[in-house]
Amino acid sequence: MDRELLIEIGVEELPALWLPGLTRQMAERTEFRLRELRIAPGAAVESFATPRRLTVRIGKIAERQEDLEETITGPPVSAAFKDGQPTAAALGFAKKQGVEFDQLTRQQTPKGEYLAFLKRQRGRSALDALPDLMTALLRDLAFPKQMNWDARLEDGKGNLVFGRPIRWLLFLYGGRVVPFTIGRAPGAIGPQVQEVQSAALTYGHRFLATSGRAGRSIKVRSFDEYQARLSEHFVVLAHSERRDRIGRELENHARRLGARVQLKEHSALMDEVADLVEFPGVVAGFFDRSFLDLPHEVLTTTLLHHQHWFPVVSDDGKLKEAFLAVVNTQPQDERVIAKNAERVVAARLRDAKFFWEADRKVPLESRLERLHTVLFHKKLGSYRDKAERIEKLARWIASDMFGQPAAADDAARAARLAKADLTTDMVFEFPELQGIMGGVYAREQGEPEQVWKAIYHQYLPIGAEPDAPPTREQLGPAAITWAAVSLADKLDTLVGLTSAGEKVTGSRDPFALRRNAQGAIRILLDLPELTGIKLELPLAPLVARTLEVYGRSGTTTNEYPAFLYERLLSVMTQRGAPIEVVRAVVSPADAERAVDWNRSPLRARRVADALQAMRSSEDFQALAILFKRVKNIAKELKQDAVLDRGALVEPAERALLDEIDRRRLVIEHAAAASDYRRAFAEIASLRAPIDRFFTEVFVMAEDSQLRTARLKLMADLRDLILHFADISEIVPTTE
Amino acid sequence: MVTLQQLVFKLSEFWASRGCLLQQPLDIEMGAGTMHPETFLRVLGPDQWNVAYVQPARRPADGRFGENPNRLFKHQQFQVLLKPAPDEAQQLYLQSLEACGIDPRAHDIRFEEDNWESPTLGAWGIGWQVLFDGQEITQFTYFQQAGGLDLSPVSVELTYGIERLAMALQDVADVYDLEWGAGVKYRDVRHRDEVEQSKYAFGQIAMPAAGLHALHRNLFDEYYRLSETLVASDLVLPALDYCLKCSHMFNLLDASGGIGVSERMAYILRVRRLAVAIAKHWVGVEPDAPAAAPNDNG
Repeated sequence: MDRELLIEIGVEELPALWLPGLTRQMAERTEFRLRELRIAPGAAVESFATPRRLTVRIGKIAERQEDLEETITGPPVSAAFKDGQPTAAALGFAKKQGVEFDQLTRQQTPKGEYLAFLKRQRGRSALDALPDLMTALLRDLAFPKQMNWDARLEDGKGNLVFGRPIRWLLFLYGGRVVPFTIGRAPGAIGPQVQEVQSAALTYGHRFLATSGRAGRSIKVRSFDEYQARLSEHFVVLAHSERRDRIGRELENHARRLGARVQLKEHSALMDEVADLVEFPGVVAGFFDRSFLDLPHEVLTTTLLHHQHWFPVVSDDGKLKEAFLAVVNTQPQDERVIAKNAERVVAARLRDAKFFWEADRKVPLESRLERLHTVLFHKKLGSYRDKAERIEKLARWIASDMFGQPAAADDAARAARLAKADLTTDMVFEFPELQGIMGGVYAREQGEPEQVWKAIYHQYLPIGAEPDAPPTREQLGPAAITWAAVSLADKLDTLVGLTSAGEKVTGSRDPFALRRNAQGAIRILLDLPELTGIKLELPLAPLVARTLEVYGRSGTTTNEYPAFLYERLLSVMTQRGAPIEVVRAVVSPADAERAVDWNRSPLRARRVADALQAMRSSEDFQALAILFKRVKNIAKELKQDAVLDRGALVEPAERALLDEIDRRRLVIEHAAAASDYRRAFAEIASLRAPIDRFFTEVFVMAEDSQLRTARLKLMADLRDLILHFADISEIVPTTE
Repeated sequence: MVTLQQLVFKLSEFWASRGCLLQQPLDIEMGAGTMHPETFLRVLGPDQWNVAYVQPARRPADGRFGENPNRLFKHQQFQVLLKPAPDEAQQLYLQSLEACGIDPRAHDIRFEEDNWESPTLGAWGIGWQVLFDGQEITQFTYFQQAGGLDLSPVSVELTYGIERLAMALQDVADVYDLEWGAGVKYRDVRHRDEVEQSKYAFGQIAMPAAGLHALHRNLFDEYYRLSETLVASDLVLPALDYCLKCSHMFNLLDASGGIGVSERMAYILRVRRLAVAIAKHWVGVEPDAPAAAPNDNG
């Protein structure tokens, strides 16, 4: 009969951010190890986590391991006997398997006949095998940071590190305790430090109990009983239930305050607080109205990042002088907790207010001197040096790249002041406010919107999505200066650190070069929407100019195209463009073509949109297939040549040549106007003449002059199309 | 009302009754009670040790001229070290709060991840900040390394912020309003010290900044040399005294803006070098041998 498996690893408080991963691992590792033990789960594997417990449960698992039967191959029969007697090799094989020689069998293989041993191992009962599951599970669980807590397992590997010390182990199979012991280091073990023995016991909430003292053990026999007893003892096992409860309580409390709490905006915090508690409750607190004079960014950062508490807003979206704290209890008297919480908030806000007033006494301009002491990178100097570089770069981007000389002074000024907030007390205390505080201080000292908003939003965009902030509305008149500053800063970081030898490898990207590259690409990709500038700007001159500002003009730029190509590909696919369309448009930047390197991300985006719109037409599908042939055959042209028009005589090739001649101008005009649909439509109409050409013309003619002319025709056609996209990438895979 | 001194009595009494020796503060400036030899050295090696003491902690950069209700140039830590860390460490800790008059059922007491690290001591541990209704009142750490050495058995260190805890117990919002003893305020005892120490820490003295920096640098170098000599003479405890002096000089230089960023790292590494040598001498490991791993936790 199949029975239930229930495991609870009782631990000291685990960090909230680890719980989602550990919940997954508990299910995955348990299932994997059970299968390895040949004990099939007969029901879904369910797992749960609270700060103090990691739980996994399977409604049914087999009562025994499956029997194991395997054939172990020994030496070939030809080497197994000498003079009718078993050889040393044959006897050695038997001995190794722990059997007499006559218990071996023979096995026919393609290589001949071999000695073999048919190994049969009867499966153990689940109760006997399950301790192996626990050993493996305890070893398998991976933590972002692990600790030594003087624990050991008798599996030959000794010390057992874990995320936090384990304090109890509930380990039941069919209601019976599976015996298991976690040992302790000889140097630690004693009256205060003892082995952890599995038992049919769990523990409830640390402080709350219906009767008697909290923290006494609770006996359970099944998962249903476990869950019921936990809930009586103030532990909500499931994350989703804790989260829902928190959501409801927050909304109720906000309503009582005549306010709202923006749960959607705070979704990540909701997840986190639900994993900070076992029995969630909410307490409302207040702070002095005068703190509402602080920038709202400072208020919300204080509450959200530092305390994990929720700000509340009135119906018009303005912050109120109140906050909601999620607590691990449902207190009889909220005010007891609230009073202390309010003191914490008041202290933090008073600090913030002190910084706010002190910081504003020193204008950003005079902070530039202090930037000397803030290191950007040991090979690239201080932030003062960086500020000087991005000032130059932003000015040039605004005037020369964007063609907006009127915005150049503001862009340069914003870039010059952009890093000054690194020397403010506020940013020292709240590093997550860098940029934002610089913007706020610039606004306070009377800088125009074009300057302060460019500083404020300089670190954006961070996400890849087209609607990731900032938006045109947020930027207002600062759109152009912002784009110039943000691009300048990102390019300076990317190019500077790359040339300083800080390479991105696998998951190692300590300077966030990927994110910087992605941000720069996104600005160019969305330039019209973000700034109203319609230009398709390429990355190559931006990188070249950045190197020039670093005083490294003429340096090779070979390391950039591949890296930037990969980022562009990633942004476009993240936005939902099919991978084959992106590949068609954003070709790997090989040295010969260097397509995306010299072309613009925005152009790639537009071409991809056009290609996506056109690809389903019949002509286009057929053309894509033909294009593959064109590409292949054009490779035969070993030396570039001028097209020898006179040599082309067959009607089919004359027709194709005429058609290309006629369309080329239209295509070029369409491209110049960024009308890529039109360009593709014109290209699609080449299908018939190409088709005819391949039917009627033999390209590889004997006559070398004729052959070269035909190959050149193919090469010209290839280049005409490749100028937009390698449309052979979108050939349906069924072809 | 629990006065500040009653709080110290209660904690001392509680931990003494749980087998701790009561030690005294070290008579040398330090940034945290962890640097006291009763913690820094006792966590090393195999011997059991249970100890509790109050240690004034000086943090020049936190000086606020007696004007900030929460930040102090010098605050007091009640430090408990239990080695090996008992299985019941958390319960013991919570009982100590009850002994101070806190009812855990009426409050929100939580253990939130906060791993402790001291680059200058080559020490780190895993643990939590204990939040009492959102206020951090204790740092709770399972020591993993000190002086660059892996530790086994593992010790647990509890560092209570006496002022913070007292503010919660007395329900006051300003540290200077705390009742130190009956009828005597924290302000009466400490305010002048805070004002004067802050002025010194931030260089408001009758000497140009450059002069003060040079003086501190010079003192750092002298203390450093002395500590080095003492280590070489195998006098571990005096060597630690002067290592702590170096650390304090570094903190003063740092607070008064006397060191640049790259230089800052170099100072930290120098203090760390001393701390590591001292730790190795204490346990009898050859200082030049590569750090041996006493256990296999990688």
